[in-house]
Amino acid sequence: MAFIEVKNLSYAYGGEGDSPVYALNNLSFEIEKGEYVAILGHNGSGKSTFAKLLTMVIDDYDYLSGNIYVDGVDILSEDISEDEIFELRKRVGMVFQNPDNQLVATVVEEDVAFGPENLGIERSEIRRRVDEALQTVGMTKYAKHEPHRLSGGQKQRVAIAGIIAMMPECMIFDESTAMLDPMGRREVISTVEKLNRESGITTINITHYMDEAARADRIIVFNNGSVILKGTPKEVFAQSEIMRAAGLDLPQCIDLAEKLKKNGVALKGDITNPYQCAEAVAAALKDK
Amino acid sequence: MSVLKIENVSYVYGPKTPFEVTALKDVNIQINENRITGIIGHTGSGKSTLVQMFNGLIRPTSGRILLDGEDIWEKPKEIGKVRFRVGLVMQYPEYQLFEETVRKDIAYGPSNMGLDEAQIQERVLRAIEFVGLEKSMLDKSPFDLSGGQKRRAAIAGVMAMEPEILVLDEPAAGLDPAGRSSIFKGIVRYAKERGASVIIVSHSMEDMARYCDDLIVMNNGELFMAGDKNEIFSKGEELKSIGLDVPQITEFVLELEKYGIYLGRDIYTVEAAYNALLKLFGGDIV
Repeated sequence: MAFIEVKNLSYAYGGEGDSPVYALNNLSFEIEKGEYVAILGHNGSGKSTFAKLLTMVIDDYDYLSGNIYVDGVDILSEDISEDEIFELRKRVGMVFQNPDNQLVATVVEEDVAFGPENLGIERSEIRRRVDEALQTVGMTKYAKHEPHRLSGGQKQRVAIAGIIAMMPECMIFDESTAMLDPMGRREVISTVEKLNRESGITTINITHYMDEAARADRIIVFNNGSVILKGTPKEVFAQSEIMRAAGLDLPQCIDLAEKLKKNGVALKGDITNPYQCAEAVAAALKDK
Repeated sequence: MSVLKIENVSYVYGPKTPFEVTALKDVNIQINENRITGIIGHTGSGKSTLVQMFNGLIRPTSGRILLDGEDIWEKPKEIGKVRFRVGLVMQYPEYQLFEETVRKDIAYGPSNMGLDEAQIQERVLRAIEFVGLEKSMLDKSPFDLSGGQKRRAAIAGVMAMEPEILVLDEPAAGLDPAGRSSIFKGIVRYAKERGASVIIVSHSMEDMARYCDDLIVMNNGELFMAGDKNEIFSKGEELKSIGLDVPQITEFVLELEKYGIYLGRDIYTVEAAYNALLKLFGGDIV
């Protein structure tokens, strides 16, 4: 069984008496342990609802059907115990869009320690984890700083450190780069990728940036609460018409390469970034 | 049609306190009329402070803001009039919606301008046209709209004042690609049809390349460079050195130059690159 398995998941908001508004419609997919997956989809396609169900932030299950299994445990089951929920929240961490909404302490290292403290971990072990987490995100020299004086990218990296100090197996980034400047985005994305590659943390990046998605192992595309496409970035971005119909786009270089190929220009190799695109175009011009 | 000029402007937050921070240092900028001007810069570079000066929301610590040659702070009591001429859409403006209906919310600005009801309603209809909101939305509560629709309603509220200069701080942040392009296209149409100047702050180099004519680059509270977008984006290395970037296509064009292939530095969009390459491939194209 895959690490995360989503089976026929449907979910609607709205309490008793309201007519339900379905955010997820019969959603099914799997994510393997250690995978780096990007989730794309238009605003309102259900991405964040899925993330909130997976992290058990939503606990209003009036209109819920289907299952999410994390390492074989059905996390939406009614029989799940408080202890199991506590255990699962440790294993799956989430970083939100606005860094100002998730930093709680007045000193960076105290903020990072907040998670492990709540897990009842021993002091010396917390110290070790905080130092290691800050080092991983490259924020060691800011350990004693005030979080609100950091840049957006730095704040997000502190938020990430706070999650990794809990040593999760899976991390979800819900548009965590949307409010950042280009440098901040680069900092956060390279931190995310390092965690995935070096620590084997299963990574789910929910994003509107196509160039970020192009870097993932696999992309899952949501549309109106269902999955309409999944596959490697190459496979998914080859479906330009389906992507556009779903309100999405292609990374500029992939878009350009696709257009050239359609017009009979033979471009060789994988093209997911500007450098590969330039190399392929230069080679094709040389062969002409 | 108005000209906005920023003359030797500095701004200090919390002056003479331990938290004193200089947000802007001796900035000189001329916003050209009938152009769409983009402002780029890293977080904390002074962009938002700058745009809040354009309509007199904050007053420079020193220096002048000139609208059609007149200092907007000449008569501080009349600063309200400047806000009708220079409309500011702040970041995440949907958090400022407050009325019972979308119609009333959009009408709030123009109804403070002393217009009669018919004129106000006309303006509301013109504004929703620009942002692409359906008429059927007008009588709904703004809180029943989706995030993207709320954003549109909030932008329409400022457009309904029909400012000569429209300033938007990150108008498309957090929207999906289709939402982004529809908002930007609406803004461009507003500029064309009203003969207005537009100033946009954004972190998306792709959007800036696509929709702006001129660019202003801020760094650490100072003007780093300003000019036509062709000129600015051809300086990729300098932009990267201050935490910014160039559009992916520009990166591609610059990379291609390393192979001795020159497409031209005025290419930032997929369409332009495609057309330029088609010429190079010439006969091979089926």
